[in-house]
Amino acid sequence: MTIGPQSPMRDVLEAYPGAQRALFRRYHVGGCASCGFQPTETLAQVCERNNNLPVTEVLDHIQTSHEQDAKLFIAPTDLAKLHEQHSDVKLVDVRSREEFEAVHIDGSLLLSQPVMQEIMGKWPRTQTLVVIDHQGKTALDAAAYFLGHGFENVRCIRGGIDAWSQEVDPKLPRYRLGS
Amino acid sequence: MSDDLQQKISEAIADPKNIGEMPNADAIGTVGNAACGEMLRMWIKYKQEGDRKVIDRATFQSFGCETAIAVASLATELIKGKTAEEALALKPEELSGELGPLPPMKIHCAELVEGALRAALQGNESPPAPSASAATQSPSLLDKIAAPGKSGVKIEFLDPPKS
Repeated sequence: MTIGPQSPMRDVLEAYPGAQRALFRRYHVGGCASCGFQPTETLAQVCERNNNLPVTEVLDHIQTSHEQDAKLFIAPTDLAKLHEQHSDVKLVDVRSREEFEAVHIDGSLLLSQPVMQEIMGKWPRTQTLVVIDHQGKTALDAAAYFLGHGFENVRCIRGGIDAWSQEVDPKLPRYRLGS
Repeated sequence: MSDDLQQKISEAIADPKNIGEMPNADAIGTVGNAACGEMLRMWIKYKQEGDRKVIDRATFQSFGCETAIAVASLATELIKGKTAEEALALKPEELSGELGPLPPMKIHCAELVEGALRAALQGNESPPAPSASAATQSPSLLDKIAAPGKSGVKIEFLDPPKS
């Protein structure tokens, strides 16, 4: 999928899962409901109604951020090896409670507020922390949050728990979210 | 921001009080701040003290900035033992308590706390429904990582687990 100024934001986010965070970080666009955008809006339209942001520059920023995000990913098989060698690696699951209860990686923690409190208050900032989501599209936002709070070793599982099910532990059932 | 204020915020952040969801809360208030995309949710539990219904406990959840967390931490301590009316009468600068006066660019952090508190004390039993326009928007960053409790999603397994 080629992304350009006329691409709807839905496609932009599909191609660049960290685009919303990138937009917010630099341009203060899309961080909350008030400054958000519609999935059907094009990137050009979003730029236009936000003080005519230069769409080419914005797209370049999204793509550059995406390349930086890519460095945060760890392949499921690499994570399995890492976890085997370093049992103190923390797995933090950012999916919903229902998804976590349905399927999760042994030893992982569902990110709840008490867990967040413990992470922020007690975990050393050098702690290796791997964020788990469903399909590798939302973990980056949580990872960015932890990085922004000083954690030095934050990774995201590439493809989420779905990829883990396929590549590491087929006993974990794959699922999709129904309506 | 002054070094002194930053120090106080850092101290409050190092040991925040009353963070977390509260099961069986009597009231919940949620507020998002249009200025910076922050969100703060507050839970309140009342108790009866003689003929006064006072706040027994208040907790909060925030993925906002450090200042908002610090103010919320102080505010949830400050409102204990107060009636809803007394707590509602508190101004943002009072909620920030020992942090002292906040610089202009940080005042909205205290207003965020005040907003969540007001929403809870005025009797919203559940987080307010999103506006019609917001409902069709992409989820905010905070929605993605801060959704508490059950989200109502339905899990559909694709295949039976392989043994």
